[in-house]
Amino acid sequence: MKHPMRFVAVLAGVSVWLGVVPLASADETCNSPYMSNLIKGQEDFVHVWTLGEPGLGDASDKLVTVDANPKSKTYGKVVSSVSVGGRGEAHHMGFTDDRKFLWAGGLDDSKIYVFDVGTDPSKPKLVQTIGDLPAKSGFVGPHTFYALPGRMLIGNLSNAADKGGATGLALYNNKGTLIEKYAMPTATVGGVKGDGYGYDIAVNPAKNVFLTSSFAGHKNYMRELGDLMKDGEAMKNFGSTMVVWNLKSMQPTQVLSVPGAPLEIRWSLAPGQNWAITAAALTSKLWLVKPDAKGTWTAKEVATIGDPSKIPLPVDISITADGKGLWVNTFMDGMTRYFDLSNPEAPKETYSKHTGSQVNMISQSWDGKRLYIISSLLAHWDKKGADNEQKLQAFKWDGHALTSAFEVDFTKEKLGRPHHMKFTAKAGQSLALAAVRE
Amino acid sequence: MRRALSLALIACLTAGSAYGAADVGPGTAPRMDFTPLRAGTYQLQSIQPVGEATLLDEHGKPVKLSGLTRGKITLLTFFYTYCVDPLGCPFVHETLTQLRDRVIAEQGLARDVRFVGISCDPSNDTPAVLSQFATSFQSRSPFEWRFLTAPAVPTLLPVLDDFGQDVSVETDEHGRPTRTLHHMLKVFLIDAGGTVREIYTLAFIQPDVMMNDIRTLHLEQTAKASLVRR
Repeated sequence: MKHPMRFVAVLAGVSVWLGVVPLASADETCNSPYMSNLIKGQEDFVHVWTLGEPGLGDASDKLVTVDANPKSKTYGKVVSSVSVGGRGEAHHMGFTDDRKFLWAGGLDDSKIYVFDVGTDPSKPKLVQTIGDLPAKSGFVGPHTFYALPGRMLIGNLSNAADKGGATGLALYNNKGTLIEKYAMPTATVGGVKGDGYGYDIAVNPAKNVFLTSSFAGHKNYMRELGDLMKDGEAMKNFGSTMVVWNLKSMQPTQVLSVPGAPLEIRWSLAPGQNWAITAAALTSKLWLVKPDAKGTWTAKEVATIGDPSKIPLPVDISITADGKGLWVNTFMDGMTRYFDLSNPEAPKETYSKHTGSQVNMISQSWDGKRLYIISSLLAHWDKKGADNEQKLQAFKWDGHALTSAFEVDFTKEKLGRPHHMKFTAKAGQSLALAAVRE
Repeated sequence: MRRALSLALIACLTAGSAYGAADVGPGTAPRMDFTPLRAGTYQLQSIQPVGEATLLDEHGKPVKLSGLTRGKITLLTFFYTYCVDPLGCPFVHETLTQLRDRVIAEQGLARDVRFVGISCDPSNDTPAVLSQFATSFQSRSPFEWRFLTAPAVPTLLPVLDDFGQDVSVETDEHGRPTRTLHHMLKVFLIDAGGTVREIYTLAFIQPDVMMNDIRTLHLEQTAKASLVRR
């Protein structure tokens, strides 16, 4: 990957190497498969997209940066925080293909904030705010930000007209201009009727396909969870499908029946594998998606997470780089579970730990030795009172047990509700400065 | 003076971001386990227009970039002549050579397609170096394959920025530059109107797909011309 770069060597009198960044396959394991600079060593920073909390600090949504390098003097501490000047239900974020910028969305105000994390990842800067999603696409609730080469594919949750679950995908170029929009299918495709709902996106370039999953519209996700669960009609308005898309044509080729709001999708990153896994939140099941012998995509329930009758609510999954293990967080019971995925047709739970009163997103390092967990699901769905813990926790994983590495209390720090995480490594020093020092 | 210039060049080249601890590991060759869609049965997105710049050709002559990104279907990539990465520039050039032969073999296509390579190392890749480099890509049949460089790094930077072509510098564990640079492999498919219609990163260097994308743009171009004639 590295090559002599003669011109700098000649000019600066030093040995320089130049390489083309490989587009390796995958927090680290859930990023777009062709994003550059996957961190396969020690991450330096964890960026946390955080919901503002009325009465707490500046009450604004913000990108909080925490030092994650054990060798650093500020390890486990907040090193910077960038507020966006408002509260719009900060939720998910994703890197651009070159990992220089983080796009972060608000599920309520539908704004998209672009942070420069490349110039100095210890101090991200807000460089652009994209506010035209509803007007130009008709969609609201930007959820998943998935890098395509030179573009950002955004999976939305709702629509501007009735704030229900019918929605679609919006494709922007990296400069922030909308290129195209694609409605989630509501017709029958491949024998199954689409419900029009959306949530996550996951691409498999080798098969020219991507998968989408389905959740709920603005009317549901912005409502108090207790009220929502008592409303039988509203509870019918959750997604129950996944969609297989042709990546080149951006057309749906199959709708798959996956009841119970299938959320995060992860492709196996093992070479030559062509299967993906997802967790259905309301039914607490793991589903395997793969092609059959004829190449037709199938979705099959393969495991149960906790006791579905108690609605543990699996909210995030994180697959190991070798595709042989899967972490699952369940919000309601605050459990973190590990499933052996050696046989993806029959995942087996082999470890579990109570990691908080409420736990949401879970991210692991490429080598699987470090695990990060945050607490907030949605402003109106988080627990009340003492159970409303809001923190980032870092753990070490030795293959047998999770041990605590550090914890940041986001309430004590007056930051808000931490929702989503991404990793970066330190920025390089200017070569010019180094040369001057020489 | 020479040293001051060197530092200025280096400063410009490294003005972008860089990553220190990112161990990117070995690259993975692209896989293609599908039958590509037939040309003309799908639409390629209009991703972004190509900006203007003045660069140098293989003879040291200033050329407007628009002159080599308009009027024909263009495959454009950034490279440097001495790259030996098996999944880097040599891999792209090998793929492009195969594509060139396929384009030439297809009646009426060669005159409407060109390839352009822009060096991301203008200090080494002078016009003379490019001229020599270009001899490796000559074909018996006429085909426009051009190689460009910049008079200086500051001229190149806005071009890289416009295309979204990352070039970055690694640092060591103490935050010092290791003199290791990276750039992300990207090949840009540009239509005759100067709009980027597809971008191929390593996972998408799939020649059959690229060929059908060229054909798709050609069919689109032919249909537009036919409409104008009517």
